[in-house]
Parts: sequence; C-alpha cells; structure tokens
Amino acid sequence: MDQMKNLAREIVALCSVPSVSGFEGRSTKEIQRLYEGRFDRIETDAVGNHFLWKTCGREGAPRILVDAHFDEIGMLVREILEGGFVRLVSVGGLSPSVLQAADVILYGKEVLRGVIVSTPPHLRSAEDDRLPDCEELLVDTGFSKDELEKILPLGSPVGFAPDYRELLGGRLAGKSFDNKACAAIAASAIAGVPREALAGDVVLMLSSFEETSRLGGASAGAFGLSPDYAMVIDVNLATVPDVPKSETVPLGEGISLSVSAATDRALTLASQKICKEKNIAHTMIAAPSSTGTNATAVQLVGGGIPTVDVGLPLRNMHTYNEVIDLADAEALASFVEAFVCDGEIAKNFCVREELPK
Amino acid sequence: MNLYTTLQKLCTCPSVSGREESIRELLRELISSFVDEVSVDNLGNLIARKKAKNAKAKKVMLCAHMDEIGFLVTFIEDNGMIRVAPVGGISLSAAAYSEVVSEKRVAGVIVPESKTKPKEYAIDKFYVDIGAKDRKSAERKVSIGDFFVVRGGVRRLAGNRICGRPLDDRIGCAILLSLAERLASVETACDIYYVFSVQEEVGCRGALPAAFGISPDVSLCFDVTGTGDTPGADPMACALGKGAAVKIKDSSVICHEEVVATLCSLAETHKIPYQREILLYGGTDTAPMQLSGSGSRAGALSIPCRYIHSAVETCDLGDAEACVSLAEQFVLTLK
Amino acid sequence: MRTYDNDLTLLRELSLLFGPSGCEGEVADAIERALPALCDSFTRDRMGNLTALIRTGDLSSENRRRVMISAHMDEVGVMVSEICEDGLLRFDTVGGIDVSVLEGRKVLLGDESHRISGLIASKAIHHKEKKDRNKPTPISKLFIDIGAKDRAEAEQVLSVGSVGVFDSEFYRFGKDGAFVKSKALDDRMGCAAMLSVMSALVRERPTADLDLYFCFTVREEIGLSGAKVVAQRIAPELAIVLETTAVADLPETEPAKRVAALGKGGALSVMDRSTVYDREFLNFARATAKERDIPVQIKQYVSGGNDAGSIHKSGVGVRTLALSVPTRYLHSPACVASVEDYHSVTSLVEAMLRAMDTETS
Repeated sequence: MDQMKNLAREIVALCSVPSVSGFEGRSTKEIQRLYEGRFDRIETDAVGNHFLWKTCGREGAPRILVDAHFDEIGMLVREILEGGFVRLVSVGGLSPSVLQAADVILYGKEVLRGVIVSTPPHLRSAEDDRLPDCEELLVDTGFSKDELEKILPLGSPVGFAPDYRELLGGRLAGKSFDNKACAAIAASAIAGVPREALAGDVVLMLSSFEETSRLGGASAGAFGLSPDYAMVIDVNLATVPDVPKSETVPLGEGISLSVSAATDRALTLASQKICKEKNIAHTMIAAPSSTGTNATAVQLVGGGIPTVDVGLPLRNMHTYNEVIDLADAEALASFVEAFVCDGEIAKNFCVREELPK
Repeated sequence: MNLYTTLQKLCTCPSVSGREESIRELLRELISSFVDEVSVDNLGNLIARKKAKNAKAKKVMLCAHMDEIGFLVTFIEDNGMIRVAPVGGISLSAAAYSEVVSEKRVAGVIVPESKTKPKEYAIDKFYVDIGAKDRKSAERKVSIGDFFVVRGGVRRLAGNRICGRPLDDRIGCAILLSLAERLASVETACDIYYVFSVQEEVGCRGALPAAFGISPDVSLCFDVTGTGDTPGADPMACALGKGAAVKIKDSSVICHEEVVATLCSLAETHKIPYQREILLYGGTDTAPMQLSGSGSRAGALSIPCRYIHSAVETCDLGDAEACVSLAEQFVLTLK
Repeated sequence: MRTYDNDLTLLRELSLLFGPSGCEGEVADAIERALPALCDSFTRDRMGNLTALIRTGDLSSENRRRVMISAHMDEVGVMVSEICEDGLLRFDTVGGIDVSVLEGRKVLLGDESHRISGLIASKAIHHKEKKDRNKPTPISKLFIDIGAKDRAEAEQVLSVGSVGVFDSEFYRFGKDGAFVKSKALDDRMGCAAMLSVMSALVRERPTADLDLYFCFTVREEIGLSGAKVVAQRIAPELAIVLETTAVADLPETEPAKRVAALGKGGALSVMDRSTVYDREFLNFARATAKERDIPVQIKQYVSGGNDAGSIHKSGVGVRTLALSVPTRYLHSPACVASVEDYHSVTSLVEAMLRAMDTETS
C-alpha cells in the first residue's frame, strides 16, 4: 500500500470510516480529523449530512453545491439469539450472492468482528440452490447471548469489514467506494483549489440516507443550503460481460456525464464543454427518465436547482469488492476542480428568476 | 382521559384518506381545551399548538394520522352493485364478507364475485352490495366518488387488550389527546405541535406539508407496528404488552440515533416498559417529518398491533399508556 | 359559447411541436410568443417552466387568493442510448410508452437546433420465430434507423443522449370532424386550453381579488414534475391541473373499466395513484359545470397520476383539482380525443375562475 498515490490513500482513508445509512452522525469526528484545516468550516444537520465549506471570499458570490452521498449499505442487528448469533435486517440493496461467509464488523457499545453464516453445500439438498436474503441470515459473533445483550443493542449497525487491495493498472478493490470514493475525490479536489480561483462559495455535502430513502438526506440538506446550482457525484455501473454496453460505462476511460430528462440539459452540456476543453476523459451516457442518484431529488428542491449528474465507473457495486480505476478518480478530481472554478457556469446559472409580478 | 373511552368515540367515525372531515371535527373538539391554538391546513391536517413561553423555543412535532384505509366508489352496475377501488393498503382476504359503511353512513357489505377463490382475489372481482334493487335505487344513496370503510368499532378482549378497527391509527390519536391533556397545565420549554395528519395510508402525504409548515427541530410519530408474537409470524422482537416500541427502523426510515437513545434511556430511568422496534416493512409519517424542509431529528413511538389493516386489529392498552408516559418524559427533556 | 380555438389552429400548432421531457424549448418558445398579449407578466425559469400572471379585482387588496393553473409542455419520447457500428441506434423511452406502439413508427430526432428523420424497426417477420410474431418486440431488440451508413456518419448528426418524438400527422376525423388525432395531445390540449382561457380572461377580467398563475411546466412525463418547483415558488392555495386522461371506452372493455367516455365532457378525478382530490374543490367544479350547463364527468376508475401528485404536497399543501380531456391511445403517436370535450374543459376552467370568490371557501 505504500506505493499508492496520495489520492488512493485519501480514498481508502474515507472509505474505511464506517457510515451505514442512518448512522452517518457517528462519523463527524473522523470527518473532522480528515478535513479540518483543509476547509473553512465543517457543519452537520438534523439528518446526518456533513457540509464542508470552502468560500471564495467575495460578497454575493454564487453558492455551488457538490453532493456526494456518504452513507453506505450495510445491516442492523435485529435480534440476538442463543449461541451468540445475530439476526439482521439489510440497510440498502444488498446482494444475497456475496453474503455467505462474509466478514463483518458489528458496531455496538464495543466493536466486534463476526462472520455471516453459511450452510455448507453437502448439508443442503441439491434442489435447494436459493440464496437466502440478508434477513434470513445470521452473524456468528463468538460471544454468548447474555454477553451480547450487554454490548450490542438492537439496531446497532453492521458493516462489511474494510479490506483494500491494489490491482493491476492502478485499480483499487475494497468496500464502500460507493460512494465515499467520490466524496474523498471531491474533497481532495476542492481542498486543493486556491480560494481565489473558486467561481463561488463551494459546499461539499457528504449526504446521508441515499441508499435507503428516495429523497435522501440530500434533499433536506440542499433545502437548507439553497445553492445556485449543483453537481451530484455518484458511482456508476462499469462494463462487465453479460450486460449491454448501453447500460454501463467503461472502466478506466474517465468519468460519465448523464444526459437525462431528470437533470439540467444546459448544465450537462456546459460540463461536457469543460471536459473537452480540459481534456478530461469522459463518456456521455443516456439516462432517459431518471439518473437513479441524488440528482433526481436535488434539482426539485425549493425553487429548483439546476443539477448535473456525474459518475465514477465502478464494478461489483454493493459488494465489499468494489473496483475503481485511479485514472477515473484523477479525471473526476480534475473535473470537480474545473467545475467549481468555472466562471461561465457561475455567470449563467446563478440567475435567480422571480415569479411574475 | 381514558384511552379506551376515547377510542370508542374515535373508531366509529368513518374517515378514509382524503376525506377526514368528521374525525377532524371530533379531534378538534377533544383537544381544543388542552392547547393554545388549533388550525387546519390546506390538505386538512389538524394542527394543535401549545406554545412555549419563549418565542424562540425549539419546536417539537408530535404526529398521529387520523385517516383510515377504505374504498372509493368508481362504478355502479345496472343491477345496483357497486364497484370500488382500494384506498390505502387493503387486504382483500381480510376485507371479504365485511360490513362496510359509507361516509354518508349508508350500510353495505363487501364481497367477492361468486366462485372467486381466495387466490384469485383482486379488487376488480369485488363489489359492495347495499341492498339496492337496481342502479337507480343505488344512485339515490351512493354516488361515484363516495367512500366506504369497513365498519369501525372497538371491543375489550382479555386483560388489557382491545380489538377492533381502525386502531391504525386512532390509537395514536388517542395517545396524543391523552398526552395533550397531561401537558396542558405544564409549562414546557418547547413549542409543541400536536398534528393529526391526513392521507398517511395512501403514502404519508399529509405529514410532509404539515412538517414543512411547522419546520420542527424534533419530531415523533405515533403509529401502530407489527409484532412477532403470533403463530406463523416472521421473527420480530416486538410483542404485545411489552411496552412502548421505540422505532429504530422500518422500510421508510431509520430514526435519529440520539432520539432513539434518549427515548430508551428515559424509559429506563422512569421505569416505563419499552422495547426496540425494527419493522421489515411498512412506512410511517416519520419519514416525511425527517426529510421535509431542511429536516428534523425524527423518531417514533409505536404501538404493537396484531392483524393490522383487518377489522380485528388488536392492541394492548398498557403499551399505549407507556407511549403516553414516555412521550411526556421526552417532551419535558426538550430544552 | 364557442369562442376559443374553434378551428383547432392553436392545438394543431402546439401538438406538432418537438418537446420530449427535458427538451421543451421549442414548445416554450411558441407559447412565450403568445404570452405578451395574454397576461400581465410572465417569466421562464432555469428549468424551462413558463409562468404567466393575471391579476384581477382590487390590486391593492392584501387578501388576494393565489391560484395555480397548470398544464405540462413535455411529451413522451425516445433517447438514443448507443450508436452502433452499422449506424443504427439503440434507444430507450423518455417517460412511459407502451412498447407495442413503438415498432414501425416514424420519429424526429435531434435537439433544440436541428431535426432528423428516423424510423423504429426490428428484424423482419421472416427472421422472427413463430412464437414471437404476436408479441411486441422488446425495446432491447428495436432500433432506430436514420439512414446512416455507419457510426461515424450517425455521429455527425446525433450523439448519445439525443432525444426524439413521434413524427405523426394531426387531423380531424369522424362526423363533422368530431374527433382529433395527433401525437402529444397529452398535454398540449391542456396548454392550448390554458392559452384560450387566458385570452378570455384578459378580455374581460373576473371581479374577485385573484392572482392567477398560469404555469406551462416541464418534465411531467418522467414523473419529475417541473410543476413541483413552480408550486413551491408560488405557494398557491388552490391548483387546477389540466390534463388528458387515458380512457378505454371501447366495445370490448367491461363498462366498469372504461374510465370515462369521449364526448361527455372533461373528466374530474376523485382519486388517482398520486392524489386524493380536495372534496370542496371538486364540488365547486361540478356545481359550476351544472350552473353553466357545461358537460363534465367523473372518472370511473382509479388509474394514472399527474402533476397534481407533487403540487398538492408542495410547500404547506395545496388544494388541488384535476380536469382532464378523456383521450384514447394515450402516449401513442395517435392520441384521439373529442373536440367537444376539449372545448368543454376550456369553458369549465374559465367558468370556475370567474366564479371564484375572494374569500376562501
């Protein structure tokens, strides 16, 4: 891991912070530790959003929102059984295909290790090849029921264990790149921009509840902020065999920009222009009716917020072996930097139209 | 205020989602003397406010929904039989062969077409028979656009348990009334908004604008929750008679961690029976209160209830009383 | 009575415009050109919604009622998702289109600045297995052919994300031209009706103290609702959503599932999948129709949803009414509606706005 670039280290640092959806509030200290001094201030709100502010120092400057959701999929403790087994409920869309015998961490009053149980094949009937859902599975903790009841309240979050690898060609594998990799990349990019270069006051929102709520914490956060325009960054399904190309984005060929009826067409085209001018690798993708990200909710907040949807290609989404390409990460960082510094966008999108009088 | 007597009044007031006029008037009458002002918003939410002394006090929104599931009249056949559409999460196997009553108090029965097997139950196979001999005579009593509900009412079972409908969520309304009565003469540090919301059963539509208007700092929802204590039930730690259920999660919301922690520790301190609730399905007004406007710290106290959305919803009054006591302590700690 | 859009010039013009969800500029431009003569002032917001204001009664009064009247400008369409080596295009729908009406249709593709013709096709029946011949071809097996000989040629005129709409004729048919057929009647009929109402109100203003906001909104078909943003800004007390509603008044449909019938007037909704409508407002609409002898019907089935869903929950809540022109074959290139119903809807909206009191009912 020593060989890894700085950006990779930042990504791994943030992705290792546990943040199961609904429990983002526990991460405030870690976020402060990672970003204190690199932003002007760090704030939180009632629904678990964290706001990292970097102001340009000019009066009346536009307010630019960069949203990257910070929550991760995971599980909660639902019931404690004899023998130290724990029944679960899923938080967000877990794939049953990767749960069997997975390493997890239980965040109770103490932090415990555990393994999700798996019935060995020679004890299953041949016809019974159905994979159980998370709700039907147990975690083996190695404690007794009595002990567990003292240290593991019902509702305690459970997450996959962080365990990162560098793969060939500058690719990274591990958990929660969805979407903390994007958050880390955006934070690193914005923190590095000299204040004078910013086109406005930038607030990076590490938003809550994306994995569990249609509106997401982002809608409440954006309502409180009332920004002039917004960029929503989330991971995007990368090409794998078996899935048509039109439904995926290539890994290692840069970021994706969604063309969608659900986002702002002009801001999307302006973003494409940035990529072309700055030579940032990118793919335009069609997301006709919905982007499936926070962009959908954010752009309908208040009097409307023009929003562009930006994606980081990622394989194996919602597993503990998500894969990203550092070249894409670099491209995303360059794009975020260029976007928050773009004077033309600031000029065109900070118009506050009133109602007719 | 006796919870059971209140429920007897509240449960016989047909008020399907979107047509809550009659229950609203009853609740207005029952709560008025406990609060400083009562208003009704554009969607019909009843908002009763008990003011704090300090004008800048924090605001707490306490919400129970006053609507119930039911049926909308969509078509009247030549033979006088009435076709309906479901309003909210109707279980047809629970509704089949029930007495129904319209908002104009016309009585009828809801039944499946002859020879329809339970497996084939679908709303298009059901009709309401009000005893009319043909369309003309049916139209004298019922119009397209009228609403029916399965006849309401509540009875006592063994011990402290009661049964009837719609305990979902008139029991939450009764809890709010009882709480308002207890707090009526107490000076509270926060502004209290008792909200009886509309249209919860069709997708939590009423609480969203209510919360937007109030913009609470903290919110608590009072609604029924499922249990794991009946034969064949899915495993769930929640059971009747074990106290107020402090909601951690349902499929629409994950409650604010500190609100959950505060409720649990208050229950411990004041020896109020409580249990932690994780519901694998369902949604409540907690979610819109959490995310409306710039959001609030949201939690919920649930009343364990068996056979939800049937005519025999079953609850334990002790659990409801525990909710009142725990909510009271919670409100008193808010500064 | 029949004072507006008698010969359907307005409806024809609006219906044939290019306006898939998210790309409504051409429709907005056309409506905007008409607005100066029809209202006191108007704006176009960044999302593309047009809002026009007519103020009536005592302008200095503080107790003015805010009423929002809305129709959406967008229509269902297609979006290019991949340009293949051979110059054919893979695509997906923008908004909900029944896959059974896609194959064989002509489409116009492009953006704000240029248009190009294409057609939707799949492999020939000779290549289809017998069991598949009576099934609609899934969208993954359909393609759009614009005549390009390869990807490079296609990329000169289009890109991934280019959008399109049905390319179909507008005509009247039936006895005395009683029916109208076109693409995008959903919801250009609502837009045209609003323009007619505005023109009538500006000629002779209602007397009550009203701020009437006529909103031409974007992105209804994808369920996203520019109307939500407009409603959040206006914070009206009342809203009237002018729409089309899908009906099946066909011989082989059971009476209980026909929803409404063509020729019996506009359809008022009691409930649909997104809204339970305000009782008093509904009664007011029915009473007004009765008093003015305007035909109106109640929708007899619960189906669909529209901008009312997001409007009524916006802000602190809005009392909302939906009035629709019953339309057959909705979301197809051949929507069919009754000209009489279109006029009835226009008349009823005008009559309601004239009958509104200053006081909250």
